Amino acid sequence: MPKSIEISHLTKKFTFPVKNEQVGWVKNLFAPEKREVVAVSDISFSVAAGERVAFIGPNGAGKSTTIKMLTGILFPTSGTMNVLGFDPTKDRKKLAYQIGTVFGQRSQLLPNLPLTDSLEFFGVMYDLTNAQIKKRVAELTKLFSLGEFIDQPVRKLSLGQRMRAEVAASLIHKPKLILLDEPTIGLDVVAKKALRDLLLTINKEEKTTIFLTSHDVGDIESLCERTIIINRGTVIKDLPTADLAKSFAFEKYIDLIPTDKFASFVELPAGLRYLSKEPNKLTIAVDVNKLSTKEAIKTMLDLYDIEDIDVYNADMETVIRYIYERTAARPDNN
Amino acid sequence: MSELRLVRTTTKLRIKELLHYPSRFFTDIVIFATRCGILLVLYSFVFKLRGGMIGGTTFQAVAWSMFFYFAFMTFRLRDISREMMVDVQTGQIEILMSKPISYLSYKAWGRIGAGIIPMLTVGILGATALTLTVGVPPLMHSAAFLPTLALVFAGSCLLTIAVYTIVGLLSFWIEDINPIFWMVDKAVMMLGGSYLPVALFPALMYKIAVYSPFGASQFLSHTAYAKWLNEWPILVGIQAVWIALLGIAVLVMYKYARQTVSINGG
Repeated sequence: MPKSIEISHLTKKFTFPVKNEQVGWVKNLFAPEKREVVAVSDISFSVAAGERVAFIGPNGAGKSTTIKMLTGILFPTSGTMNVLGFDPTKDRKKLAYQIGTVFGQRSQLLPNLPLTDSLEFFGVMYDLTNAQIKKRVAELTKLFSLGEFIDQPVRKLSLGQRMRAEVAASLIHKPKLILLDEPTIGLDVVAKKALRDLLLTINKEEKTTIFLTSHDVGDIESLCERTIIINRGTVIKDLPTADLAKSFAFEKYIDLIPTDKFASFVELPAGLRYLSKEPNKLTIAVDVNKLSTKEAIKTMLDLYDIEDIDVYNADMETVIRYIYERTAARPDNN
Repeated sequence: MSELRLVRTTTKLRIKELLHYPSRFFTDIVIFATRCGILLVLYSFVFKLRGGMIGGTTFQAVAWSMFFYFAFMTFRLRDISREMMVDVQTGQIEILMSKPISYLSYKAWGRIGAGIIPMLTVGILGATALTLTVGVPPLMHSAAFLPTLALVFAGSCLLTIAVYTIVGLLSFWIEDINPIFWMVDKAVMMLGGSYLPVALFPALMYKIAVYSPFGASQFLSHTAYAKWLNEWPILVGIQAVWIALLGIAVLVMYKYARQTVSINGG
């Protein structure tokens, strides 16, 4: 299968001046001390065409830096990259015609103008004819349900609407590869699901390779077939997402709020364990390999008089901790 | 062809944005009318006190010179520096650099698109007002005037973009370029004839205005004086040299600037 991304021994170091209080301002201005931060350290992996890959890790792990190198925005300190046959450091513009990018924390849309103008602008930017732009905008409007807000100025859109629009804009030229940096950040549960479903559809219908960074475990579970985990600039795991769930006990967490107060705490069946027991709130962990979330909720509702329930995933820090613990225990398990 | 289409679309969208939110447009016109108007009223009194002529220059020529300067400033090409600084500081530059466009030409055309309507409006209104109040200097009846005006206008646009792009590119190395921006901007204002008309400059200052890129970027303000028809080839030539030199500097700086990009996140 052809490769969309191939990177080898990629390293990115940032250097920045540090003020030294011990020396004068002249030295600090003209010959400041430099501090070096290794954002990405000697990583290598490849992504096949049509694959959906999650590139995950905690804050500061090197995810965004890697994506920015893959798009040609940042230059690596060392190592090689091949994205769709191009070297991003040398062929940034040629590569840009073949890829789509979404940076969850920044907008590429024209804030003061209706969304239609941004879509037209990107169409022109990617050398589409007017007829092609019209056709593609109609396709994306239908697929992403943009119709209800396409004529509104972008700055008036809700975050969920804006993210749908951002992804649609990045797909205007039918890219072979879409790189998404934290696309679901700040979105509510419904908007996250809608966006994940749309990305799955694009992957299936247009065979677009998806490379996504996130620290939302839900993005990985529902969207990606393969997961690469990076921490402190180093790839620590590269495995099918299904194996990740099995290997690293992908737990779900349930917060339970009682109707009155929890008076006593009964013993839980296999697959469930208490994380915290308080009269006003219970937190339990569900081992999804032994018990489904639905079964777990049912069990808890039978055991206690519950007023409110909140189900959530393990945060990325917990997953990373599991991985470290397991890797330390079985260093050959990769 | 595709570049031209992108330029057309960028310009069209910036104009559309301006028309959607016309407050900036009206503010520019008010600022122009106030600053230029006050200076012209003051200079008209000064010229009256000196018998209508100072150093062989009439108030009519000075009025048109200052009008050209202020109308050109309404173009706001200088804002390119701060836009670039904001792109770098906010990390927005990563969006633009992931697109198949030249960042520099995108910024330049975006500025031209945003400024062209205010400048044309101010130009037409101001020229009409001056024609009705002080009349048109004789040199403007010459057949060579309008073509040379267009030529020096194009040169002024290119040189202004080059000067302020260099300042903007510095933000890749030093994030806050405001002090440098102000120094360059004040040099451009003074040497361009914002406070004192160029015809009244002392000899040394006039030479600095002519031979420095800051003054050369505002040669439009020289076009209202009678000697323009004789000296325009030299002034346009000086502009061309600066455009070439600073154009090369912009390209070299951009090449290195791209490699120094450091964006938060990761």
